[in-house]
Amino acid sequence: MALLGQRSDVGEFRRRYRWLVLAAIGTFLVLVGRLAQLQIVQGDLHRAQARKNIIRERSLATTRGVIRDTQGRVLAANRPSYNVHMTPAEVDLTETWPTVVKLLAIEEPEKSELERKIKDIQTLPSKEEKKRGQQLLLKVDVDRDAVAYLETHARELKGIEVSPQPVRYYPYGELGAHTVGYMREVGSEDLVRLEERGYRAGDRLGAVGVERRWESYLRGVRGFKKIVRGVSRRDDVQEVESRYLEEPRRVEPIPGRDISLTLDIDVITSIEKAFHGQLAGAVVVVDVRTGRILAASSKPSFDANVVSGGSGVKAVADTFRRLNADPLKPSLDKTISAAYPPGSTYKPFSALAALADRLLDPTTEVDCHGGYEYGKRFFRCTGVHRKVHLHEAIVQSCNTYFYELGARVSIDKLASVGLDYGFGVKTGIGINPEARGRMPTRSWYTRRYKEAFRGGFTLLSAIGQGATTVTVLQLALAYAALANGGTLYQPQVVRSIETSDGTVVQDFPPRVRRLIEPDQEHLAWVKAALEGVVTEKNGTAYKERSRDVDMAGKTGTAQVSHVTPRGVDPGKVWYFNRDHAWFSGYAPSRSPEIAIVVLVEHGGGGGKNAVPIAMRVVRDWQKMKEKRLSAKDDAAVGTKAN
Amino acid sequence: MALAGRMMFRRGPAVDMKLMFAVVVIVTAGLVNLYSATSVYADTATRARLADIYVSQVYWMVVGGLLAILVAAIDYRHYERFAGILYAGGVFSCGLVFVLGNSTRGAVRWIQLGSFNFQPSEFMKVLLVLMMARHVHNDHKNEPRTLVDLAVPGLLITVPVVLVMAQPDLGTGLILSLTAATMLMMTRIRKRTLTAISIAAVSTAVLAWNHGMKQYQKDRITSFLDPEHDKTGIGWHALQSQTAIGNGQFLGEGFMQGTQNQFGFLPDQFSDFPFAVFAEDWGFVGCIFLLSVYCFICVYAIHVASQAKDRFGAALATGIGALIFWHAVFNIGMAIGVLPVVGVTLPLFSYGGSSVVTTLVGLGLLMNVSMRR
Repeated sequence: MALLGQRSDVGEFRRRYRWLVLAAIGTFLVLVGRLAQLQIVQGDLHRAQARKNIIRERSLATTRGVIRDTQGRVLAANRPSYNVHMTPAEVDLTETWPTVVKLLAIEEPEKSELERKIKDIQTLPSKEEKKRGQQLLLKVDVDRDAVAYLETHARELKGIEVSPQPVRYYPYGELGAHTVGYMREVGSEDLVRLEERGYRAGDRLGAVGVERRWESYLRGVRGFKKIVRGVSRRDDVQEVESRYLEEPRRVEPIPGRDISLTLDIDVITSIEKAFHGQLAGAVVVVDVRTGRILAASSKPSFDANVVSGGSGVKAVADTFRRLNADPLKPSLDKTISAAYPPGSTYKPFSALAALADRLLDPTTEVDCHGGYEYGKRFFRCTGVHRKVHLHEAIVQSCNTYFYELGARVSIDKLASVGLDYGFGVKTGIGINPEARGRMPTRSWYTRRYKEAFRGGFTLLSAIGQGATTVTVLQLALAYAALANGGTLYQPQVVRSIETSDGTVVQDFPPRVRRLIEPDQEHLAWVKAALEGVVTEKNGTAYKERSRDVDMAGKTGTAQVSHVTPRGVDPGKVWYFNRDHAWFSGYAPSRSPEIAIVVLVEHGGGGGKNAVPIAMRVVRDWQKMKEKRLSAKDDAAVGTKAN
Repeated sequence: MALAGRMMFRRGPAVDMKLMFAVVVIVTAGLVNLYSATSVYADTATRARLADIYVSQVYWMVVGGLLAILVAAIDYRHYERFAGILYAGGVFSCGLVFVLGNSTRGAVRWIQLGSFNFQPSEFMKVLLVLMMARHVHNDHKNEPRTLVDLAVPGLLITVPVVLVMAQPDLGTGLILSLTAATMLMMTRIRKRTLTAISIAAVSTAVLAWNHGMKQYQKDRITSFLDPEHDKTGIGWHALQSQTAIGNGQFLGEGFMQGTQNQFGFLPDQFSDFPFAVFAEDWGFVGCIFLLSVYCFICVYAIHVASQAKDRFGAALATGIGALIFWHAVFNIGMAIGVLPVVGVTLPLFSYGGSSVVTTLVGLGLLMNVSMRR
């Protein structure tokens, strides 16, 4: 029997075999083409990716540079802190989790949120995806007891990990916080921009002040160590590592540079004490011979430790909410970032402008009847000073004299002398956003008010009111220039940059911004008057003088525009309407070394409120100087004796 | 085996040594590769058992080989008579899966037989080839076939495909359809009919996408089109596979040295992605070699078909060639990222008893036709 019917006709298929063969070979050739693309053309790319898969770069943390004051005392350093992370896929929700919650005192909304995340990750379908689950931060800056417990019970507490992270530490807390600055965590928005500079999520960087400006020096460079994934479980560690790890396998971190500041924490401490009882303001002390800043204080201040993130994201956010809501603006650096009307402390510069244009001389006499009539307006004086010359006008702060001066001098001359002394332009100190202040000119007024310029503006400018504003730092540098005979220095806060072992890498010698070259005779008349403010019976600072303080200067009481800042309790409006109290001066009066500017915001009269602070700070500075000198002498004697 | 073949058919047909050699090469390479693929588990505590699956693969190869010899020994023309019954039995067991089946990963594919898990859909592949060959054999006419003529073979294909797809097993359904379709393409079909079928196929695909397919099946396709934005992890698998293959470069990382495999970056490396393991270990050179052997078997099957004495043998050889071809193309295609990940085995490389036995029995049938041309 035939196995199959006889009608078997294979002819129908004949023509199709060739096509099938061609199609099969063609398809395989496509596969070969793709293989060639993957393995030969993109081979290096894929090898690199494969290596990346198995190699972990474990980063080796660097240490941020230390910031010191001029005497070598630490203003910003690092302290160890411990953060607890968890790998959700490995956490045992029933057994160990309650222990962890209790130990770390994780509170309710956070606790259920974390539990939800753990459950989400643990119910993912495949093992590979679970592996990919990242670590979550449980708690920052855990106390030592908890760290000790976690480390001794590491075996039972699967998925819980303690990682050390150094936290910035500011031993002096609020003192000089605006200048030294503080740290902030790298946010997700700026991570995009900062990633190429090597920052990672969770890193901290300087947010304000020196910390920010000198970030690139302080920061240091992270090191790394390459490891092969899971290599510790293998017995051929050496072989595997030498096979897959390219050199260099380990790069040590480079610690950040240390920075020595020109600040003297003793001076800042004395300002802090002297300011006690006043709410808000700023003090700057500069060395008149170098432009170095010995102290800069802005009140109220804040604790740099709290805002630097050691205590966790929430604590930082709360602190900032509080700081930003405060009408006294504690986060504002009032020495640099805000401009105020200088009031009478500006009078020496008005006088120098008028003297330079020969519009008056010391014999010019003005009769003060308590004010000055100009056009249809009456400009008030602080009192009735009768017949005054330049000297008395400064000593007693007679406005009438300066109104007369303002009537004679042009506003543009006032502005140009002001610019010579560094007003109206940024000082270039380099830290914190700098306010420019304003030296109004005729064209400024026409642009601003779109009407004809009025002479009354010049009268107001002459007494440091009107549109004239200055920063505390500008005023201090300008008084330093008066004191040193006309040299305007570049302000400096950084004295030198050092390696972590103390070798000086870069030193910053004083830099002169401008030689003003005022007429020395004019300067002598003005300086004599500034001395008189403190030493003469009717001087505005006389009542508050200390016998043991040798200081010259000028008081000021600046009127405040009666616009109450937002968010102020109506019951406290009276405070925000009070005048700013000023004192600007230098010491010692005959051979000046430091210039000091005190601003008490809404402090009232300058003589009564600002002068005592300046007196106290200068007295402390004098004592400190003597103590340091004798210590040096003792040391010198000591070495000789040896 | 060759010797046994000669002894068995002393005066009968001779064993086709070329085909035999090609199969032995693939079997050997497949076992060696499986050893490399599973060696990654040797050190693990929980999955150490998996390191030994190449041993059971050897057992299955032996079982499959013996079955293949048996299948090859009996003149293939006898099978024509039993094709109908075998086909019916296959369809029945595919249906039985829904009653008795074991479920893994949400799909019912296996029937427990004693201590074995038996996967009817795998055997259905060869049974369908037999059935289609029988149909093609009996359906000979000179004028091109119309849609009406294709109704019967269409039904023969649809029934098992629907059952398999419902398990759901997209890959096997696809292989069944493509293999049977390839066999039908051997006959003359009217151009209009072909156009109509193509349109129907496209609209069915659209309908299936919108109503019939499970989300994970859709995910496989979307993640193929856009692997970077894949959320399910399938696209990630496909990318890791391509990285592994690319990492092989020209000469490969060396046997058991592929890092993507050894460090556990290849998912399902012994079932879905054995090719990635092979390509990483042996490089472009190894891949060319392996593809050549697969290509040889496919082309050789057509060669055997072209020399077959009858339509049944020709269709049978073509069908087996198509089966191997589509398996290899789909599996390698998904490993190298030109086709979506649909879970198709690589013949004699992927781990799995049903798959190995089916493939070897199929090759036995091919050998059978080859020996009696």
